[in-house]
Amino acid sequence: MRSEILRRSRALFDRMLLADNAYAFLFEPDETGEVVSLDCETSGFNILADDVISIAAIKIRGNRILTSETFRALIRPGAAMDVSAIKVHQLREADVKLGRTIREVMPEFLRFIGSRPLVGYWVSFDVRMINKYLFGMLNINLPNRQYDVSELYYERKYGKAPPGTEIDLRYAAIAEDLSVPMLPQHDAFNDALVAAQMYVILRDMQKRNVRIPRQRTAPRAGDFSV
Amino acid sequence: MPQAFDAQNPPFDRLSHDEIGTLRAAIDIGYFPPGETVIAAGQRSEHLHVVIKGRVAERDGDTLESGLGPKDTFDARSLVHGPAGTTFVAAEETLCYLLPKAVVLDLIGRNPGFAAFFYSEISRKLRSYERRDHEGVDSTLRAHVREVRFRPAVFVDGSTTLHDAGQIMQDRNNNTLFVRDGDRVGIVTGANLAKAFVVDRKPLEAPVREVCHFEVVSIGLDDFVFAAVIAMTRHNKRRLAIRGEGGYVGVLEDIDILGLVAGNPQLIPGQIEQARAPADLKSCALDIQSQVERLHRQGARVEVIAEITSDLNRRLFAKLFDMIAPPSIRENGCLMVMGSEGRGEQTVRTDQDNGLLLARPVPEEDLAAFRTAFSGALESFGFPPCPGDVMVKNPRWSQPADDFLVQVEGWIRSPAEDGPMNLGIFFDAVSVTGHPELLDRAKTAMIDMMRGETAYLARFARAIDLFAGASAGMLTSFMASVGVGSDEIDVKKSGTFPIVHGVRTLAIDQGIREVSTARRIDALAEAGLFGADLGRELSSALSYFMEIRLRAQLAAIATGRRERESIVRLGELTTRDRDLLRDALRVVKRFREIVRNRYHLSVF
Repeated sequence: MRSEILRRSRALFDRMLLADNAYAFLFEPDETGEVVSLDCETSGFNILADDVISIAAIKIRGNRILTSETFRALIRPGAAMDVSAIKVHQLREADVKLGRTIREVMPEFLRFIGSRPLVGYWVSFDVRMINKYLFGMLNINLPNRQYDVSELYYERKYGKAPPGTEIDLRYAAIAEDLSVPMLPQHDAFNDALVAAQMYVILRDMQKRNVRIPRQRTAPRAGDFSV
Repeated sequence: MPQAFDAQNPPFDRLSHDEIGTLRAAIDIGYFPPGETVIAAGQRSEHLHVVIKGRVAERDGDTLESGLGPKDTFDARSLVHGPAGTTFVAAEETLCYLLPKAVVLDLIGRNPGFAAFFYSEISRKLRSYERRDHEGVDSTLRAHVREVRFRPAVFVDGSTTLHDAGQIMQDRNNNTLFVRDGDRVGIVTGANLAKAFVVDRKPLEAPVREVCHFEVVSIGLDDFVFAAVIAMTRHNKRRLAIRGEGGYVGVLEDIDILGLVAGNPQLIPGQIEQARAPADLKSCALDIQSQVERLHRQGARVEVIAEITSDLNRRLFAKLFDMIAPPSIRENGCLMVMGSEGRGEQTVRTDQDNGLLLARPVPEEDLAAFRTAFSGALESFGFPPCPGDVMVKNPRWSQPADDFLVQVEGWIRSPAEDGPMNLGIFFDAVSVTGHPELLDRAKTAMIDMMRGETAYLARFARAIDLFAGASAGMLTSFMASVGVGSDEIDVKKSGTFPIVHGVRTLAIDQGIREVSTARRIDALAEAGLFGADLGRELSSALSYFMEIRLRAQLAAIATGRRERESIVRLGELTTRDRDLLRDALRVVKRFREIVRNRYHLSVF
């Protein structure tokens, strides 16, 4: 709740700083009722030093994931790619060279998401990554509301859990628990799609007030060895 | 759209690369909470749904038709033919791919293979799938020599004349003889004899030791068949001697191995012909049985397998009859097989269903001896006794034709429970040997008694609801998929029987004398009782049920659990098979309605 108030005040502030009024729509109240599932692949995990190399976004309208209306872009990074990151998402420099620059991509992306709330797994990381460029272009941060599926999942599964409960918020664990079929990971589109499926299921569970059962597992011997 | 959309999943495997691309670009994903109606009966669907995760229940009013799981597609009919006939409800949290109607219709227009899936005619659907599920011959080559049916060894002395040797070959129907000559053992074949006369001009009285050869290539009983194949190739021999514990026990010919791989039903009639005693027929009976599995493995259609099997079984019965029946019965009798054996829809051996009609009374002791001997012999061959006691052993089923007709009339007119089933079994009778006119007369009399008698026919037809649990079967199956009860379906009860019995009823009604269900269906369609379309669908559905039943039967034999021979577990079926099964059960349901309406069965 507090973060929501912070976000709104931050948005009001950003609205005043907005460098280009053509993007005022980002601050209009959302009237579509849709949300957007978002995922970025990056050249590394350091927000300041690394670059976004691909973005995928999928609209979700009610219970329908609009995979027929998606946004996908490969981005040519300014900096050289980190070898460890290439191993993760298997986009080589040669592949991303085909992409466009983030400056070209951003306007299209912003028009696609509008003022819809954003959904993702650890979505704040993706948003901060995008903000890095956005701030330079428009002098603002993304004002959109964010729903992190790991938070929704935590609330449905571990909310009110007794202290000492082993908490597992790994992407694979969530997918397994919700039996969402895993897709080859580290592809922005696939990750956004899986997050979207998690989102519709979790939101429906909230609506129906269904909780995810916790397995009470006996402590394993290995847990104490470290 | 998602690369994840599985284009290998039928029917999408028939789309070209570009078509898949078009489809992928248009797909959305829908989420349905438990209890939400995905498609309501009477509504048109704007999408074709393919389940990603979760379960969808197909309901018709209150009855559950089927349960759909991942990769299942619905509802092709409402997309193509108009409003849905059934309601589709999410049974748990369900994600589906939503394929827009316009795109699917466009693909149907462009791609005939894809289109075939959407026209509910199951026969076309079946044809549009090629058979892929063949098992290889590898397992055959890894069989042991002792599992092959080889010829037992016949020994002659080295001093036997060529003439006698030839005679023995002829008598024993064995082209290879072992020749004992002192300590040596050699082999002589028909070809050796021919060469001795034709090329070497040997006299008929020459001793066989002069023409046989003593360098015998042999193989052990417990060697693998592939070792035999290698030995034949290496030594350029078409036959090998087989070593047992106490010396040579037989001869393995290349044709025997071929038979093991390919099945050789053409050899069995010869074996039946040459049998001298009932005990000889036992191995023939086993051979007939093993043919079924081989033919199935080769991909022979189930109708063909059934036709071959019933032909061979009938020869076997006729031969046994000739061996056992005393002259009084042979001269006056007509041996008949009934039920599925009579309709020629038998594959894996099921119960004995046989009977005997006599032109006139025969001495009681002849009859009594024959009854026990005949049924007993069949039982010893592995034909289990009929639980309904429909066999020669039962005096009801082996009596003079006139007395039998009194019996038939009793079945028709008395309200006893077993009447309709007995009549049904008898209506499927065919004569195997003896006087076919006896059976013909009895059947004509039966049809005359029943035709036009709506009340009798209705009582007969009512058996179609005997296992009216088809929907219930699907219900349990569905319950199973969500973790309750079992996911099993009895194909015989919910598929084969309603078709066979319904068709049988209509055939009596119309006085149709064809015996096989497929022929009856054709005749009924011609008589205009139902459309040619439904006729085709019925035949295809029946053949499909037979096919998956055969698979279940072979599995039941392999696991030694005979009681499970018509049980199919839905979870073990491929998506394609589940889909076909669903369609076939729909055909059954439609047909059942036709029969019920015709005989006003709903009033019972």
